[in-house]
Amino acid sequence: MTHLRCPFCGVRPVEEFSFHKTLPNVAGGPFADTFLRSDDPQDSHEHWQHRLGCRAWLLTRRNPSTGEVLELRLLGGAAS
Amino acid sequence: MSELAPRYSATSLLRARFSRDYWRPLWRRTKPKDAYDVVVVGGGGHGLATAFHLARDHGLKRVSVLERKVIGYGNVGRNTTIVRSNYLLPENFHFYEDSLRRYETLSRDLNYNVMYSSRGVVDLANSDDEMVLYARRGNAMRLGGIDAELLDRAGLRRFMPELNPDLPRRYPIVGGLLQRRGGTVRHDAVAWGYARAAAALGVDIVEECEVTGLVTAGGVATGVETSQGFVRAERVVFAVAGHTGSIGRMLGVPLPVETHLLQAMVTEPVKPLVHTVVSYMYGHAEVYLSQSDRGGLVMGGVLDGYPSYTREPEWHRLEEVVQGAVAMFPQVAGLRILRHWAGTNDQTMDGSPLVGRLKYDNVFLNGGWCYGGFKAIPASGAACATLVATGSAPDLIRGFALERFATGHVLDEKGAGPFPVRQ
Repeated sequence: MTHLRCPFCGVRPVEEFSFHKTLPNVAGGPFADTFLRSDDPQDSHEHWQHRLGCRAWLLTRRNPSTGEVLELRLLGGAAS
Repeated sequence: MSELAPRYSATSLLRARFSRDYWRPLWRRTKPKDAYDVVVVGGGGHGLATAFHLARDHGLKRVSVLERKVIGYGNVGRNTTIVRSNYLLPENFHFYEDSLRRYETLSRDLNYNVMYSSRGVVDLANSDDEMVLYARRGNAMRLGGIDAELLDRAGLRRFMPELNPDLPRRYPIVGGLLQRRGGTVRHDAVAWGYARAAAALGVDIVEECEVTGLVTAGGVATGVETSQGFVRAERVVFAVAGHTGSIGRMLGVPLPVETHLLQAMVTEPVKPLVHTVVSYMYGHAEVYLSQSDRGGLVMGGVLDGYPSYTREPEWHRLEEVVQGAVAMFPQVAGLRILRHWAGTNDQTMDGSPLVGRLKYDNVFLNGGWCYGGFKAIPASGAACATLVATGSAPDLIRGFALERFATGHVLDEKGAGPFPVRQ
């Protein structure tokens, strides 16, 4: 993975972005949300931030086995 | 196939010197048998060490190690070969101290030279505040009976004259925390040595045999489904760090773990330049560096920074590691990187390992090793074997059980919170 497409800044090098966390994907309340993840090697839902750019918070879906970005949009924004 | 390598001794070395065929296999290639007392899934350091101790310490005769690729393919051959026990929390430093002590005698125990080198491990401090943190960690270690020395600039100059702490640097070097008994061990030799010693005790080492599922009946595991057919097992141990999340998925048990990449690199060989293992944290980045016996500088840094199974390291992380190395030793700037690779790390929610029962009474997990996998191998193998053979966890690994997340007894060495990427 070398680049990500920021909704504001366009295609930028990945080192400008910082990964924050994977999103909860297990039922079981706050404990599971905090500590447990069901591993999916093909589909990871994550929060990222364009920290060294426009600082926008992003919602991503990536395939961790290939590095392919399946979906990337502004956190809280509509799907693009 | 030719005869296996003999037990090594002065005589066997002398004989090999005059023999034409002294390159002999260390263990026999085997197909899995129908049934075993214990099936260990994963032929890395932890799986092999667990199998070795099951056979040697607990007398189990029917043990096999099933490896998806070949011995030495995974993280046991991808780490930066550092061994140390300079941790802050008692659960961690007692465990890693046990491991370090086992490394000290491992060559004799395995009859295989693992080239343990107690060259010392130094963490460099950038500020007086950091020195306070190092003093705290060093004091914790000393209270636990482990050697630690806090070095000021003068002490650092005496211990490693190759480093000039007075050079102007953006992140100055004001001192460090030294553990003299820390050092390096040749990682391939650890894998081969354990495999050979385990095989000599009757353990079947099966390469290119992927486990695809766990078979259960009446609430207990009865065996594993593999690419070479069904293998019946009284007990199953998963030691697949880097892919522990996949085991959770296979068993339908969500786990407090994610898979991240950790990269390392080695330069072309040069004459002796750095005589110790040195780690330098600067800003948000880090580099740890040592010189291999062949002369290459072995360097590593922090995680690539997001979940990945690709084993394709990020270039900007390489740049960061190299910048740190050059900041420490400006004379290395002209060196060329020969090899650069990544391994898949289990990163847990508190940065500490996961060892214990997993869902079924006769299924055990040994994983979640984060940055500490290689240095943990000997202690992990011995303790995990005891757990599997007797059914109860020795004190050394009791704190590593999965239940700690439910009871709140997490072992968050860094105080980073439940974010695997920051551990």
